[in-house]
Amino acid sequence: MLLELPSKPALSELKRYARRLAPALAMVGIFFLTAAGFFVIIGKPPIATLADMAMFAVGDSYSLSETLVKTTPILLCALATLLPARLGLVSVGADGQLFMGAIFGTAVTLAWRDAPLAILVPAMLAAGIAGGAIWGLVPGFLRGRLDVNETITTLLLNYVAALLVNALVYGPWKDPGNLGWPATIAFPAGSLGTFFGTRVHAGLVFAFVIALVLGVILARSRWGLELAILRGNAKVGRMIGLSFSRQAMVVMALGGAFGGLAGICETAAIQGRLQPGISVGYGLTGFLVAWLAGHNPVIAIPVSFLVGGLIAAGDSLQLFAKVPAASATILQGLLFATALAVGGVSARLRRAHG
Amino acid sequence: MAEFDAITLATWIAASSRSATPLLLVMLGETLTQRTGVINLGVEGEMLMGACFGFAAGATTGDPLLGLAAGAAAGVVLSTVHAGLVLGARANQIGSGLAVWIIGLGVTSYYGRAFVGGKVDSLRPLGAHFADAPAFIRTILDQVTPTAPLALVLAGVAGVWLYRTRSGLIWRTVGESAEVARALGIRPVSVRLQSILLGGALAGLGGAVLSVDYTQTWAQDITKGKGLVAVGLVIVARWNPYLVIPTALLFGVSETAVLRLQAGGVAISPSLLATTPYLLALVVIILSQSQAWRAGSMPADLTAIFRSSRAAP
Repeated sequence: MLLELPSKPALSELKRYARRLAPALAMVGIFFLTAAGFFVIIGKPPIATLADMAMFAVGDSYSLSETLVKTTPILLCALATLLPARLGLVSVGADGQLFMGAIFGTAVTLAWRDAPLAILVPAMLAAGIAGGAIWGLVPGFLRGRLDVNETITTLLLNYVAALLVNALVYGPWKDPGNLGWPATIAFPAGSLGTFFGTRVHAGLVFAFVIALVLGVILARSRWGLELAILRGNAKVGRMIGLSFSRQAMVVMALGGAFGGLAGICETAAIQGRLQPGISVGYGLTGFLVAWLAGHNPVIAIPVSFLVGGLIAAGDSLQLFAKVPAASATILQGLLFATALAVGGVSARLRRAHG
Repeated sequence: MAEFDAITLATWIAASSRSATPLLLVMLGETLTQRTGVINLGVEGEMLMGACFGFAAGATTGDPLLGLAAGAAAGVVLSTVHAGLVLGARANQIGSGLAVWIIGLGVTSYYGRAFVGGKVDSLRPLGAHFADAPAFIRTILDQVTPTAPLALVLAGVAGVWLYRTRSGLIWRTVGESAEVARALGIRPVSVRLQSILLGGALAGLGGAVLSVDYTQTWAQDITKGKGLVAVGLVIVARWNPYLVIPTALLFGVSETAVLRLQAGGVAISPSLLATTPYLLALVVIILSQSQAWRAGSMPADLTAIFRSSRAAP
């Protein structure tokens, strides 16, 4: 329970890799089959549509850049989910943290809109991070101190945060120049930079670096081991002087900080203003990615890219092939269900065959 | 003045019970599912399925009863995904519920587009059948359709069944310990399958009541987390069908109060007012959950799910 069993010496390296890879391959295969089945049901040619999706995801430099644009918030939301999961917590709160990050960062931007970018941008990012961290700390505190289930509280807080965004952009923060459109004034252009004239911004670099650093810390540091011990057996953790409730608050607040960073980056660089609908379910997508990546931050990088491609392709399919955007949501659900089914069955087979 | 007060009270009772009905049905279903040791966050998606396809059936046939039946059926259909993943593949229950939610959200946004802005007939208020009832009763019956009393009766029947009958005892045993149940010759998987499907039917019915009978509209993501709120409130109601009634009514009263405030022209942002049910749910869950763990009223096998879901991957 506490430590992974050492691999049997008799098992050759190759066989071990095959065993690890088989479920992943089975998952991809089954997912493509169900996706093809879905396209048949909605009356689209399955093979051609799947090929179109691949083209729209990575086929040319524009598609690739749009995939990277989607990868950014998804990766950060995945990190917001997987860090609490390393302590065994099931947080579904990345969406709410994203909204709170957007709100806090926007508050700073509106207050200091005339400040030079060199001051404004760091302050804006810090505020966004703080907003998300607070929104993670609340369920972390409730879980750590009062033993209130974090899955339910994070889900409820998502709705509260989304409504707070609406209250602000329909109310005190609405730019009268928008002629009734609920949004704040525009953010200063280029605050987060752009790469090669695309919409890709500094947020991608932040996400990438955080994922790598987090991967190293979780795998190598004392703290990473503490989380693993507490997850495996809280009683043992307590006996060697570790505090579950403190760690619950730490991982939830840190995870929230990642979600908040996603929110302010998305608002400043992609939307250019705070408005309703800044997240199209990035939080849930991040949850899916964290799960697919086995809660490993480094593996979450390529998985975010693949799922980001799926969503970017969904947007393009809507524009060019008249496939409604909701189909990207359905495909994500099918992908998640496939991953769960394959994971469950392969765990069962492993148990059965030792 | 006394007459006016009584009528106002009757109006509030009617409005609260109407708005509580969808939540009550979903909560009841989730309560029974959790009683057998299965948690299903997918009721949010199943409720959406019921709301969408119930509305579609009601709008195309013009028969609200058919709409409600179609909604319940749509909920059952989606709940088979949760059953397959959880019982068939032994997948993680929290993850499976979220997957089911995402699928329901996607499917209903996809097929619901055609019905946005559509019209549907609701069920007739009960008042017409009771012309000579006293004014107080009459006021309530004039504003209440059969779904509200039906939901109350269902909750009562579920309580009696769960606590007083042999099969109810079987369900409770499976929830406490599948192992003990197996030793008694009960097949836990079969009981859990039934409970997931029943939960799906009630969630779908709740969704259909919401779209066909209560709001008479369909919009994308119309449930806005009602199903998730219900999952949280099951804890508040202590996995007890009888306690589902007051818990749901509390939310009905709060929704009625919010609607009255808005209609009364109170200068609070409607979005801020709309946070009420979520914050109220948070507060009651915080107040009761820390108690519930200690009191041990949670089905024991469910506790294991909550604990084991911690080891997520």
